[in-house]
Amino acid sequence: MSAVRVDSLPDAAGSRPADASPAAGPRGAASDAVEAGGAAAKGVTSGGASIRLAGFGVTPAGREQPVLAGLDVSVEPGEIVLLAGPSGAGKSTLLQALAGLLQPDEEPAAEDAAAHGVRLLGELSISGPAGRVPGTGLVQQDPETQVVLSRIGDDVAFGAENLGVEPEQIWLRVRAALASVGLGDFPLNHPTAALSGGQKQRLAIAGLLAMRPGLWLLDEPTANLDPDGARELRSVVLRTAREAGATVVLVEHRLDLWVDPEDGTPGVDRLLVLGTRDDGRDEQQGGGPAGVIADGVPARLLGDDEVVASLTAAGVWVPGVRPRLADRPFAPGSTGAPLLTALGLGASRQALPRRRAARRRVTPAVTGVDRTRTEGEAVCLLGRNGAGKTALALTLAGLARAAAGRVRAEELLRAGARWDEPERFSARELVTRIGMVFQDPEHQFVTRSVREELAFSPRRAGVEADVVQARVSGLLQRLHLEQVADANPYTLSGGQQRRLSVGTALAAQPRLLVLDEPTFGQDAITWADLVTLLREQVRAGTAIVAVTHDEAFAQALDARRVLVQDGRAQEVAA
Amino acid sequence: MTTLKAAAPTAPLRWRTVDIVVAAVLAVAGGVIFAIIGWTHHLLDPLFAGFPPSSGLTTGLWIFPGVLAGLVVRRPGAALFVELVAAVLEALLGSSFGATTLVSGVLQGLGAELGIALAGRYRRFGLDVGLLSGALAGLACGLNDSFLMRWYPEYPTSWLWAYTAFCTLSALVFGALMWWLTRGLAATGVLSAVRSRGAHRETVSGR
Repeated sequence: MSAVRVDSLPDAAGSRPADASPAAGPRGAASDAVEAGGAAAKGVTSGGASIRLAGFGVTPAGREQPVLAGLDVSVEPGEIVLLAGPSGAGKSTLLQALAGLLQPDEEPAAEDAAAHGVRLLGELSISGPAGRVPGTGLVQQDPETQVVLSRIGDDVAFGAENLGVEPEQIWLRVRAALASVGLGDFPLNHPTAALSGGQKQRLAIAGLLAMRPGLWLLDEPTANLDPDGARELRSVVLRTAREAGATVVLVEHRLDLWVDPEDGTPGVDRLLVLGTRDDGRDEQQGGGPAGVIADGVPARLLGDDEVVASLTAAGVWVPGVRPRLADRPFAPGSTGAPLLTALGLGASRQALPRRRAARRRVTPAVTGVDRTRTEGEAVCLLGRNGAGKTALALTLAGLARAAAGRVRAEELLRAGARWDEPERFSARELVTRIGMVFQDPEHQFVTRSVREELAFSPRRAGVEADVVQARVSGLLQRLHLEQVADANPYTLSGGQQRRLSVGTALAAQPRLLVLDEPTFGQDAITWADLVTLLREQVRAGTAIVAVTHDEAFAQALDARRVLVQDGRAQEVAA
Repeated sequence: MTTLKAAAPTAPLRWRTVDIVVAAVLAVAGGVIFAIIGWTHHLLDPLFAGFPPSSGLTTGLWIFPGVLAGLVVRRPGAALFVELVAAVLEALLGSSFGATTLVSGVLQGLGAELGIALAGRYRRFGLDVGLLSGALAGLACGLNDSFLMRWYPEYPTSWLWAYTAFCTLSALVFGALMWWLTRGLAATGVLSAVRSRGAHRETVSGR
């Protein structure tokens, strides 16, 4: 959340928001937070920023090829722009450039040319009204990295405090912003650590609202939210941005949510689609940016069959178009052989003590789960943010202790392990039986290259070196990661990281695969790759338990649906 | 109307936002580590009972953030900034040394900064730069403790000089460690935003 200064450090005057004057009067009382929010937003008369890009491009540090090149785009004040495109088209990079986070370094000496810093090409100018540098608010993909303080009130206030807003104004803004994003029921001292991923995303947006920037930059702000939460947040963003007259540049893979809100509010003003050469695959090599492939009013673009075809080919989620899967028809490989049984299982987000008696004091997020999972079966855990889906998944995966009841590994899954409870498996036993893919791929990378990452678990599980080698090369190929096999996992794009994290779990060939939000942040092409890969697993008899909000994913895997709600888990019809 | 352009790269000695952020992160981490060492370092005292001035061998633990910041951020003032901010944080977290940590922070930071400036002139960041930066920071620490703050009034002068020598030796070793650590960090790719991003490909002399 910095002021936009591409060529120099932000200075105190420059980073002040265009409007720091009292907006909501004394009437904006805490007891009437929602109304205060509306009044506060209307009080902003500063308007939005305008953006002009001329031949603009970005070459990341140490890379030869630009990830963005030759962009010529202008954005008018108050325009709400949806920026779409396949994984690797440079959407997030453009957002970072607009936020002023990409600052070039001096060029290294010729003999060490590979050590160059980020390079900006062409021209980028951002103008605020009334001769001021417009404040910029940035919400990034990963909500976990954006929480800065331990209490929600302080966290939302942080940006505004750094902009030098009057203290009494800050707290009015904080309450209004929290109410706007649907977190108004929490006390201001509610611990941020107790929020779910989706709630943290709303918190980050509340922080932006409280800053009142002239330029809003949102990087997949709803990717982590449940469908209801996503719609609610979408409406909040569109309404508050229009009221503030702010300019918005928003990255999203799924257009339907933003282009044509079903609640009747007008959607985004403009659709801007970036492409890659060769349709988004192998984005580190060969591909490269193709610049703007579509730009205009969404309704008009999406009414044109030719445009829709090119967008679909580029991996953009066009409303009403499902990605084509290579291996239709698909039949699950269920043999009915039981793998895992939950017996009166309770799951909690808290870390639990080893002694069962001591766990009774804990109130579980989910209780009373009795169900058996069988070979070749896919199950999706659905439910709102904070319902306890992840806690339940971690408990089933043996990574969290059961808050009540137990998980029993059936003979087929146990396969000679000393205990029949996954939570008591040794690491080596666990990794060859149950694979876990975390919501945030970066949370599970432990080595320095993609190749080593894939080899890590099978090697630890004692698999012979040449078998490991064969598995790794097979996975690299299937996951389209051959080109980046020696790259550091942390330097991959979001889509590549997701495929790698699934690959690391598959490498140890577990019978049960537990996935937390596997399709989060995927474009339609990488989505189809991932689904195809998981279908192969299911067909081969692997059972899948996936926490997801993605209905298309559940359908594609022909999954049973379990709704986690109000502390219970119930099987529901598709 | 204010217009900003995607301008030419920054001058070599100019700080960018990302440099400040990286330095601040190192400083906070250093400050917390200082506080923890401050609360626990007496546990090591028995090791030095044979020859008390040898307690100077722990000095490396007190000077590493400055040296590391100098090698990682590679901007003038980074070593001083980080060592000083870490010392301020240590004092705020509660230190038995009180506000004297600020004097120590400034002097050790100046030593580390001087080493980097003299050995590599902010152009080269080889092993020798790490060694000199560490050694001068350690020397500053030893002289400060012995002759300015007079932490050890019971020591004869020869012991004070011995203590100072131990400080320098310890810090010298930590300087080398920080050079090695910077290369390791650069190899992971986490330093891609700062000047040391290619440290792992440099020669020992930093070219």
